Amino acid sequence: MKESWTMLLMYALGLIMIFVLTFHLLLVSPLTGRTFAEALSYNYVLHNLTYYQIIFGILLYAATIHGLNGLRIVLIEWLHPGRFQWIINAVIVVLMAMLLALGTYTLIAL
Amino acid sequence: MNKRFKSGLLTSLNPTRYNLERWSYTLHRITGVILALFLIAHIFEIYHVTLGIAGWDQTMAELSNLGVIELIGMWIIAGSALYHGANGLRLILNEVFGLLLGKPRLPEYPYSPLSLGRNQKIAIYVITLIVVALWIWAGLYLLAGLGIVRW
Amino acid sequence: MKIRILRNDGSKQWWQEYSEEPHKGATVLDVLLNIRETQDHTLAFRHSCQMGSCGSCGMVINGKPSLACQTRITELKSETIRIEPLYSYPVIKDLVVDLNDFVNKHRSVKPYIIRKNPQELEEAPMEFRVTSRENMNFIQYDYCIMCGLCVAACPTVALDPQFTGPQALAQAYRYIADPRDEGFQERQPELDTSHGVWRCHFAGSCSFVCPKGVDPAKAIQLLKREILKRKFVRGPRAGAPASVLVQPEKPISNPPKAPPLDFKMGVNQNE
Repeated sequence: MKESWTMLLMYALGLIMIFVLTFHLLLVSPLTGRTFAEALSYNYVLHNLTYYQIIFGILLYAATIHGLNGLRIVLIEWLHPGRFQWIINAVIVVLMAMLLALGTYTLIAL
Repeated sequence: MNKRFKSGLLTSLNPTRYNLERWSYTLHRITGVILALFLIAHIFEIYHVTLGIAGWDQTMAELSNLGVIELIGMWIIAGSALYHGANGLRLILNEVFGLLLGKPRLPEYPYSPLSLGRNQKIAIYVITLIVVALWIWAGLYLLAGLGIVRW
Repeated sequence: MKIRILRNDGSKQWWQEYSEEPHKGATVLDVLLNIRETQDHTLAFRHSCQMGSCGSCGMVINGKPSLACQTRITELKSETIRIEPLYSYPVIKDLVVDLNDFVNKHRSVKPYIIRKNPQELEEAPMEFRVTSRENMNFIQYDYCIMCGLCVAACPTVALDPQFTGPQALAQAYRYIADPRDEGFQERQPELDTSHGVWRCHFAGSCSFVCPKGVDPAKAIQLLKREILKRKFVRGPRAGAPASVLVQPEKPISNPPKAPPLDFKMGVNQNE
């Protein structure tokens, strides 16, 4: 029961990320008329993170949940932990919470 | 790290002697792990924006000290993102909507499974074409950032 | 021609080499039988029908899981043939693998028709109707001979021994897609776990190696769609299919009578 909701979340976040991540990549792409080094300059990054704050917020949450859940699946399959599976789940949840806290702080503090 | 685990990992990551989809599976998994690890590093990297222009420039300078390794790394990550996204869209069509799998029919000798049939092959070739084209484009762009190629 | 076989006596395993000159058109099973007859009678392998319908002689030939009786030597186009026991199974001896786990997983998905009222299976009050179009949705998965090649090819089974496996999942879909079946709720706890249907990532190798064209990969993708669909759609397919139990349209009033048995044609002719 639980697993199908998790996978539904994976599919939904994956679909969302196809649009949001395309936007994120376009911002550092040559279509903006900048070279790669210019696209990483402080002013440009700061402007993007504040101006498109909501889009980057969506991307942060979608990517972290999708990515770390994917990592959890890979770890469960590669390590086949059996009854110690809760350890992997716990590590992933803690890591997810840390990354989301750090990312949210970055987006809000600017 | 028992013997079964090692042989299982080798069996699962060895796509040779199987079908085209097995290569997709292997690449999807490898790019997924690359992207997940990159994501963790990327969130820590972007955090340095909050340290102000001095902190950001110092971080960028430390990263660009890596030189060619950083460039190849960025290129691999760009390719991973492109492939994982495009192939993920195909998998969503397959798994959630049941598309590209062919119509139900009786199996006839010589058996050619419909789920690995023409629709699926075309989808994989289109994905490969788009991803390779965009990947080369991204590579030239990364080289232009170093001034090696004039954009 | 060299035949390299991964031998196993239960405690250690080693590669043993035989040289054999098979006749044109020989299958790998013919070669193995010949080796056992003329060279090494300790070589163990399973086989029965020699025509690809019993599914006993599954083994890994040159890196690809296949039925030995369906693989011709000339098709392999190599001077050395490597034969291993099926991947991802515990080996008992030489090429014989332990299929207990495989069969138990097949059992765990309840591969039979389940009715909410089990009495209906014993004494059907009316006709169970399956149209030919509905039949086409699952008839393909009925051709499974349980040779276990798909499980040997599956990359997820190689990693995760608890994974239900392509054969069992395809059989689960075969019964869920059946309009006579009402057992979705009973099967879901077996399928919808962290080692169930969602650990399939559509590598498609199961369909690629299947000797009967069963296409388990397709069944598993459709099973995923079915599980997701039943979360949101509560139609007639989600519960009891109402249209299955029907009265026969034309009650047969005068069934044609069979001709009386002619015992003169039978065994009693001479008496």
